Amino acid sequence: MTQTAPHAPPSDPRQALAFRHVSKHFLRGDGSSLEVLRDVGFDVPAGSVVSILGPSGSGKSTLLNMAAGLLLPDDGRVLVLGHETSGTVDWSRLGYMFQDDRLLPWRTAVDNVGLALETGSMGKRERRERAQAQLAVVGLGEFGSSYPHQLSGGMRSRVALARSLVTEPDILLMDEPFSRLDAQTRTTMHTELLRIHRERGMSIVFVTHDVEEAVILADRIVMFSPRPGRVHTELSVDLAHPRLGTPEALTLVAELRAAIAGMSADWVI
Amino acid sequence: MRAPTEAPKKTAGSASLALRRSALLVLLIAAWWAASLFSPPYVLPSPVRVMQRLVTLAESGDLFYNLFTTLWRVLAGFAVAVAIGVPGGILLGSNRTLGAFFEPVLPVMNTVSSAIWAIFAIIWFGLSPLTPIFVVLMTALPLIITNVWQGTQAVNADFVELAQTLRFSRLKTLVKIYVPSILPYFFSGARLAFGFGWRVSLVAETLGASSGVGYRLRQASDLIQTDQVFAWTIAQIAMMVVIEMGLLAPLERHLFRWRRDVRT
Ligand SMILES: Nc1ncnc2c1ncn2[C@@H]1O[C@H](COP(=O)(O)OP(=O)(O)OP(=O)(O)O)[C@@H](O)[C@H]1O
Ligand SMILES: [Mg+2]
Repeated sequence: MTQTAPHAPPSDPRQALAFRHVSKHFLRGDGSSLEVLRDVGFDVPAGSVVSILGPSGSGKSTLLNMAAGLLLPDDGRVLVLGHETSGTVDWSRLGYMFQDDRLLPWRTAVDNVGLALETGSMGKRERRERAQAQLAVVGLGEFGSSYPHQLSGGMRSRVALARSLVTEPDILLMDEPFSRLDAQTRTTMHTELLRIHRERGMSIVFVTHDVEEAVILADRIVMFSPRPGRVHTELSVDLAHPRLGTPEALTLVAELRAAIAGMSADWVI
Repeated sequence: MRAPTEAPKKTAGSASLALRRSALLVLLIAAWWAASLFSPPYVLPSPVRVMQRLVTLAESGDLFYNLFTTLWRVLAGFAVAVAIGVPGGILLGSNRTLGAFFEPVLPVMNTVSSAIWAIFAIIWFGLSPLTPIFVVLMTALPLIITNVWQGTQAVNADFVELAQTLRFSRLKTLVKIYVPSILPYFFSGARLAFGFGWRVSLVAETLGASSGVGYRLRQASDLIQTDQVFAWTIAQIAMMVVIEMGLLAPLERHLFRWRRDVRT
């Protein structure tokens, strides 16, 4: 296992995120320990879209929580923009879209988006303006004053997306953000996300169960094995956008599905 | 996409509700009046007689002076209960050991009758405004603590985690996540406490005060002025209804307008 040495080599600034020999256990209720991640290592190059593809329980959310500094690895290192998460990191450069939308039910859409700006000292007026503009970017410009319960699932996802984008992060962590949307809405969200990525050039880590979603979005796919999660395969996707329904994308999806079938019967999709 | 349309107009429904309520009121008064025809005024005075009594009480200033005296005492006891109960409930909710230690105190406090608190208060404070204030405080406090405590248990850990990823300070997390989550619980506890507080303050005033609605009720009953007893009763009910419908209900609707309406 890698120990953090004081003379550790300077980390590569071209990597938005880097995982080095990351391991993680959880203590279960009965006192036994559950190994969730084992010696995971990969990079997220600045400006790229990296998709983490893995079965349920393989530690994908745990890995993102580590990247967001909510959890520390038992072993190994997690670097955000070259800085270890146990040290000082400029967290305002990181956005996190959770597996659920986590909208505060007592706030309107625009105030939910504005929440992400309330860390600093920005004035209320400017926060509102930016939140409203960000809502417009995700196509909800007219719904700023709606409460979460008045919005559809797809609209709530957009609000959550707007909240993670409004700080204009350099890194966006996305944990199965669209898994609960219908196929059509999901395709729309993919197009929107790729457009925003083109315009802003942030790095995206996109966790998914869905092979096709990974192929449509990612520049790189990191495939996890079932728990304990390890990097099973890493591959680049050098296909032009849009990829939905193109023969090359379909071939890749089929190949990956076959690889998964060969890897384990435990893979739950 | 279009913005959602306004909620359906409810004026038609509320108009018919007002009509039904007025009908109920008229019916009750009619029954009262009919019954009063067959009984002497010191047992059951007629509505007309009680109305006349109310008017004279109002004209002399007696009515409002005593109503507001009682209201002020309820508010004072209630305010102290909030000032102690809110931090207390948050503290008990955020510290497991402390919560487990103090848990049995609240149900025990709830079982103590307000008459017992009143007797203690008379022993300690005598015939003074402190007596009803103390009784209101002791009645309201466990209700507020219990509800705020419950509210802290209901705070969604996912929202706290969200605040963590946004790097909110503890204070910011308290203000932006905990307080709005606890507020509905606090509000229902406070409403309950206020209603109870009002009722027990009357008990306390009949036993240990020299002014207030409770004191005047006791006085009227001692002198067998049944029409006065009715007048004070109606006045205090009217006051509670005004506070409830004119202040608390609209406040609740405004504070919790974000809630999905589950009533049908
Ligand atoms: N705080 C925790 N305490 C104990 N066990 C945990 C904790 N968080 C996660 N786990 C366990 O760790 C394992 C991995 O969880 P994680 O949420 O990272 O999986 P995942 O890959 O995101 O799965 P899914 O695709 O279903 O979201 C699961 O078995 C889960 O039960
Ligand atoms: Mg997960």
